[in-house]
Amino acid sequence: MSKFERSGAAFSLDLTLDEAHILINLVEQLLELLGEGDFFHHYDMNDPFAQLMSLQHEVVAPDDPVLLRLLPNAYNDPEAAGDFRRYTEPAIRSTKQRVLREVRTHLAILVDEDKAGTVADLEADTWLMALNDLRLALSVRLEINEDSFDLFESLPDEDPQKSIYAVYYWLGWLQENLLTLL
Amino acid sequence: MNSDRMSNDSMSDVSTLTNIDAALHELLDRPWLCIVWDDPVNLMSYVVFVFQKLFGFSKEKAHELMLLVHNEGRAVVATGSREEMERHVQKLHEHGLWATLQRDDKI
Repeated sequence: MSKFERSGAAFSLDLTLDEAHILINLVEQLLELLGEGDFFHHYDMNDPFAQLMSLQHEVVAPDDPVLLRLLPNAYNDPEAAGDFRRYTEPAIRSTKQRVLREVRTHLAILVDEDKAGTVADLEADTWLMALNDLRLALSVRLEINEDSFDLFESLPDEDPQKSIYAVYYWLGWLQENLLTLL
Repeated sequence: MNSDRMSNDSMSDVSTLTNIDAALHELLDRPWLCIVWDDPVNLMSYVVFVFQKLFGFSKEKAHELMLLVHNEGRAVVATGSREEMERHVQKLHEHGLWATLQRDDKI
């Protein structure tokens, strides 16, 4: 199974082509869900004009449960939670998009060459954050809880859900692997 | 003596004012809490990593806090001004931890 390697301060990851495809598909789906393109794609969030424009948005808690898990309410009080979203959520989205885009760029090289290979000189923090958001997104769809691993093991191989669980647990294994190298 | 009485009166005025001032201060300075909630997805080792990265905790301290979140369902990871706690919550959300902030209930 592919794993991260560390040499001094440099981290790398060997991936099979299948693994690279699985990862890039998930990353692109999550970028799409986070509104890639229509949310400050070309703006620096510190730019005062961009901040001013963002205030025109009516910011409410997202309907999609995955987005709500990635961008949870910061306050119990709905009004305070709304204010926090208005002023802060664009920056949080922007960080998540940046991290996912960076991982996507690495993976695209392997996918475009259509062969297994090494993701070299990767930023450990970036990959940890991206892997975590991918796991969070899948966990909402799979309704992950403390009993999920037993359920996963009991599913017959032909159950289509089984492969999604397998990807979820593989991502956790990868993330744990990278953490042990820090 | 007159001068002494005056002096005592002004002392007691000052002390009352000081008390009111202290009470107001306590009310206004009542800190905000940054709370991290347990969830079944984030790896224990990742939560420790995030606590160390964002708060500069030692590995031991970060591990202790992570266990508190895990065992109690939530833990206060920082206290201070509202602005500071909002910045912490922002960073924690960027890292995928489930965090909220609220005023300290105790006074």
